[in-house]
Amino acid sequence: MNFKIPIGPQHPALKEPISLRMTVEGEVITDVDMRLGYNHRGLEKLAEDRNWIQNIYLTERICGICSHSHATCYVQGVEKLMELAPPRRGLYIRYLVSELERIHSHLLWLGVAGHEAGFDSFFMYTWRDREVVMDLLEMISGNRVHYAINTIGGVRRDLDAGQIAKIREGIVTLRKRSEYYFYIGANEPSFVARIAGVGFLSKENAVALCAVGPVARASGVARDVRKDDPWAVYDEIDFEVATADSCDVLGRVVVRVKELLESYKICEQLLKSLPAGDIAVKAPRKAKPGEVVSRYEAPRGENIHYIKANGTDKPERLKVRAPTLANYPATVEMLRKGFIADIPLIFAAIDPCICCAERTVTLIAAGSGEESVVRMSDLRRRAIARHQNAPVKRNAVWPL
Amino acid sequence: MSDIEIVENLRRDLGEKAIELSNPGVRRIFVKVAPRDLLPAITLLRDKYDCAYLATISGVDKGDAFEFLYHFASPVANINLRTEFPKSEPRIASICAVIPGAVLYERELQDMFGVLVEGLPDPRPLVLPDDWPAGQYPLRKDWKFERPQEVIPGGKS
Repeated sequence: MNFKIPIGPQHPALKEPISLRMTVEGEVITDVDMRLGYNHRGLEKLAEDRNWIQNIYLTERICGICSHSHATCYVQGVEKLMELAPPRRGLYIRYLVSELERIHSHLLWLGVAGHEAGFDSFFMYTWRDREVVMDLLEMISGNRVHYAINTIGGVRRDLDAGQIAKIREGIVTLRKRSEYYFYIGANEPSFVARIAGVGFLSKENAVALCAVGPVARASGVARDVRKDDPWAVYDEIDFEVATADSCDVLGRVVVRVKELLESYKICEQLLKSLPAGDIAVKAPRKAKPGEVVSRYEAPRGENIHYIKANGTDKPERLKVRAPTLANYPATVEMLRKGFIADIPLIFAAIDPCICCAERTVTLIAAGSGEESVVRMSDLRRRAIARHQNAPVKRNAVWPL
Repeated sequence: MSDIEIVENLRRDLGEKAIELSNPGVRRIFVKVAPRDLLPAITLLRDKYDCAYLATISGVDKGDAFEFLYHFASPVANINLRTEFPKSEPRIASICAVIPGAVLYERELQDMFGVLVEGLPDPRPLVLPDDWPAGQYPLRKDWKFERPQEVIPGGKS
């Protein structure tokens, strides 16, 4: 007998509206169905009514964590359409903010991973240190979340010597802390035992299901747009693509910590060779008819915008693909054959978050589709009855 | 492999099938094929050009026709395969058999443009709500959003 457990779209512990329907047999997930669209804002349609400048601020609001990623991806595409060459200094500042954003996003994620694995001191440490980089971002742009530093043709705010010194100081602190996390992550036996072997995604599946970002890199696919398609400043910068081949949540933690260390390296190089000069050039109001594919490596993976211009001050079409959507088919694969207790960890490992087990569940008889809400006590009674009669976990397969 | 080599190889491998072939920017290659040549072209890209990674599929409403762009990426280039079909016959074959990761993008296109993707393993709506009226396709150019009149239950009539 198997059950379907719905999680979401509204759930006390769910941070984002997504609905997961797990078909479970005992503790083992046999099938997963995902329903999306609860937060669909019709942004691509809306962009067709806004002019090029307004759309910067619209794309920035696609996401709260990687707001700069979407704005940068859009802006670098529009610059190509308008045949603008932003000044070097402007580009260096833009991609410095990109890397700082990656640092804050990965630190946030590490905390969430620690929290989901029951390692709450790790969560508190990383989030305390995240404040360092948040303060740096606030100092550079004036905002903690939507930096609004991009404009078509460059950036809107310059850096002075005092700010550069502060960023350098901050990076020294952060690097020391991240090295400590790397040590902890690899040496704390209970943490490693909790995350190793969970959420297995083979390299073949990662390729076939078009996974992106740290999820793909943790399965041994060295796919990083900064290396594959180096744009703007990334061909002048020396950095490595972090990969792991354990194909599980442990690998995803390792990849993200390694990427943090690489990002510090990139920031230091950008600051060291920060050119003098202007930060922006004046952009025209209209773009010639044309089309462009703009790619950007966001903290969660590849971000791709397809922009088509028709000669007016508004885009004909703006197609946005955020990295999380690309990782959903892979997530379904990761959850299959896993345990119910691993759902939060696996789902958090692609970077959106959902946590905790259910308190009251709706049971759907898998055959008839009939729904009934049961109380926890009833469920417990049923569970005891089932386990008394059935051979416990006979068909449970450890995911490795 | 440089861009020029890729373009030359594509021209040789696709032959007549490539209606248009251009290289407008560094590592950006655009190829246009007819809808019936789509699957063979994608299979060729996957097997010979290391393009197993489909970044996304963009749909464009061009007035009397739809244009779909399949954005592929290999470690050396970004190959965009485009195909066009008339609005009066909005149907196209699914590429999920070749690229299993395409399923969500194709479901989204079905919702947004009202194009029937034939052979899709899971054709349910993806982003539109369950009570969405039939025949309304938001990303078509002739579709305009009209905010429904707000009715306050028990309020002033």
